[in-house]
Amino acid sequence: MNMEQSYVVPKLDHGTVIDHLRASTALRCLQVLDLPMDTRITVGINLESGRLGRKDIIKISDYELKGREAAKLALISPDATLSIIRDYKLHGKHDLTPPLRFQGIMRCVNPGCITRAERTTGSFLVLSNDPVVVRCEYCERSIDASDFIWD
Amino acid sequence: MVAASDFVGRDVITVGDFQRDEILFLLDAADRFEKGHGTPLAGRVIATLFFEPSTRTRLSFEAAIGRLGGHAIGFAEGGVSSQSKGESLSDTVRVVEGYSDLLLIRHPREGAARLAAEYVDCPVVNCGDGAHQHPTQTFLDLYTIRREVGRLDNLEVVFAGDLRYGRAVHSLVTVLALFDARITLVSPGFLRLPEEQLEALESLGVSYRETESLEEALPDADVLYMTRVQRERFTDPLEYERFKDAYRLDLETLTHAREDLAILHPLPRVTEIAPEVDNKPHAAYFRQAHYGVAVRKALLALLLGCADEVLK
Repeated sequence: MNMEQSYVVPKLDHGTVIDHLRASTALRCLQVLDLPMDTRITVGINLESGRLGRKDIIKISDYELKGREAAKLALISPDATLSIIRDYKLHGKHDLTPPLRFQGIMRCVNPGCITRAERTTGSFLVLSNDPVVVRCEYCERSIDASDFIWD
Repeated sequence: MVAASDFVGRDVITVGDFQRDEILFLLDAADRFEKGHGTPLAGRVIATLFFEPSTRTRLSFEAAIGRLGGHAIGFAEGGVSSQSKGESLSDTVRVVEGYSDLLLIRHPREGAARLAAEYVDCPVVNCGDGAHQHPTQTFLDLYTIRREVGRLDNLEVVFAGDLRYGRAVHSLVTVLALFDARITLVSPGFLRLPEEQLEALESLGVSYRETESLEEALPDADVLYMTRVQRERFTDPLEYERFKDAYRLDLETLTHAREDLAILHPLPRVTEIAPEVDNKPHAAYFRQAHYGVAVRKALLALLLGCADEVLK
């Protein structure tokens, strides 16, 4: 990030930085995170990136993202990195990689799928990361990222 | 090397759960069960949980159970089960497991049999789940093809009609990949085979083509698999009216086909095959329905570990 961009997206004392999000995915990420209304969030969209060309970034103050939320972000933007900041110091950083298989997190988009009628969590296989495509393990319908229905 | 013991206790949810050699073993077993069988299911109780109407599948399973000396319990539509009181499928199957040795399930929702299998220890056989899969229909379709054509490998197979909602098609079309079939898909655009199925064919390396003309598809075909446009799968009645008579196989259309073409249909038939075709040697669909008993006898006996006497 260059100096001009670091001014646009200020440093964080405590919280979570989600960097290297695919360009124009930040708002979708915030939608699925469902953060408390009073959370302080800084968002950068379509910033320059040496690695991606264009990227988005989200900084969330005083909030550390949990595994379930990180898994959702990994399915929206598999190239992203997640950093936990405490007292201006990096406490942990890892790549957001979609799991090979996951349960819950989302619902099957197929209205005829049994998981839409029963009290059960869905179960999905990740078929590809770029673009992200998953398959419901019950009805075997393939689902594109743009159609995901989050739980 | 496949053995009868490989089948014991298994669920039958999709045809993809079975390897080519296992399918051939099952078809060979069906040959044996068609000729003679004894009563290997004596003392066994099999539940037929049909949440959606069925004639051939339910009756041929019940015939198979009866001929093998077993006993069938169950219901023929969801309205007479506790589902009508709001009971979940997972509760129903856990209750019925206590009354029976194997569950046969037909359900309007896709993935229902897989979900049921997660809740019970006894074998679960998918007898049709929405527009998804109908594996025992596929086994009897393969059995019919082998009986009628004399082989399963390297066939030219034409599927015609409702390829979008036809679960029998969805099950059969991918398993034919195991037998190096060349496939022609005949349907109006709206009723095309779903993208997932087409992608599956491509990933399996199956040679296929799509057309809207049945006449154009017929000349090289060994097998024609006709299907009904299923009113019950359409949410919009106008769409159904538009496509219900998309194809009609009659004697005139048959002039485009080879003499040894075998015509299959999962039935019920409505208008897509003219009655005058029934008397032609091509018409294998009633024999196909009858072969279902032999295939289902073999499958039940194998899943319950009772096939040894017949297969000896």
